[in-house]
Amino acid sequence: MQSVSSMTSMDHFLLIIFCAIVAFIPRFFPLLFFTKRAIPEWFNEWMRFVPVSLFTALVVKSVFIDSRYHIMTTGNLGMIISAILVGFVAYRTRSMTLSVVIGLVSVMILVLVFHI
Amino acid sequence: MKKNEPNWLMVLRTVMPLGLSYIPIGLACGVLLHAAGFNHLLTALISVMVFSGGAQFLIASMLTINAPMTTIILMMFFLELRYALLGSSLSRYLKGQSLPFILTFAFSMNDENYAVNYLKFATDKHWKPKQALLVEHYSLIFWTISNIIGSLIGSALTINLKVVDFALTALFIYMAIMQTKSRLIILVSAISGVLTVFFLVLMKSTLGLVVATLIASLTGYFIERYLMEHKPESHLLYKVHDPTRQSAMEESDE
Repeated sequence: MQSVSSMTSMDHFLLIIFCAIVAFIPRFFPLLFFTKRAIPEWFNEWMRFVPVSLFTALVVKSVFIDSRYHIMTTGNLGMIISAILVGFVAYRTRSMTLSVVIGLVSVMILVLVFHI
Repeated sequence: MKKNEPNWLMVLRTVMPLGLSYIPIGLACGVLLHAAGFNHLLTALISVMVFSGGAQFLIASMLTINAPMTTIILMMFFLELRYALLGSSLSRYLKGQSLPFILTFAFSMNDENYAVNYLKFATDKHWKPKQALLVEHYSLIFWTISNIIGSLIGSALTINLKVVDFALTALFIYMAIMQTKSRLIILVSAISGVLTVFFLVLMKSTLGLVVATLIASLTGYFIERYLMEHKPESHLLYKVHDPTRQSAMEESDE
């Protein structure tokens, strides 16, 4: 596959450095701050709802929203069916590997073979 | 659990399911980065320095649509902001660690190894910060090698973006399901889903994800507080049945 980006490798290198800094800041400072001070109780209770909200948000974005931020009305039936299947597999087996592999196989069949 | 098993092997066994599931995702990510114009060395570098499936997929797909660098970095900032929340929730297990340790730990923390470590810290009293760091490094090795191999085979493949992108979606579905421990969490998840569509379409940026996450999680927090005080018998507080009975074991440990 051909490169479609107009950036040079030097641009890519700079991009990586900036992204690494941007990725590091929110990983480091809260961790440092809260290992020195006590976390307030309300914060802990709130935190229990954060991961599930975020993961749902990311899933909903990739299944229902296209790259121009419109709601997808066609072409995502295969992904919807696969997403339900993955949810079921994850619930029954609690296995990350099985969930990912079955999800990939399902979406491959539905999107590449049945074009839905 | 086997006795006298060396520490490195025990940790490796813990990280194995994650490591194996990183292989297809890492391969897909490497292929995608190659398609976006990254050479093999840069792919290796980004896997180590950024080490986040979601972020690397995002960078690759934004590069293929020729998005300017500032936009990509801004998107990254909002995407990575969630680590503040993950980091804070792990911090109580890392009290008293040295600054270099916290630095190293933060550098390689991501969604998946956070999930592994959080579960271990919550269920295993003997789980040590050093072992948690080893989990991060093992997962980093799996991730980086898969990315490099993906980048190497990328030139020989024609890829369907929709299909490889779904590896990450499947991973997030799995992690959301693993978080679903009470009926209230299911409600919060539904609220988050609706808010996500609303704010993404409204704001036309991934910032919508951050807003939806904040509102949904705060709503869950306030509903729980209200129910605990006024309706402790509410059906919303019921635990969700776990077919493998893993969480039943967690509770008896506490």
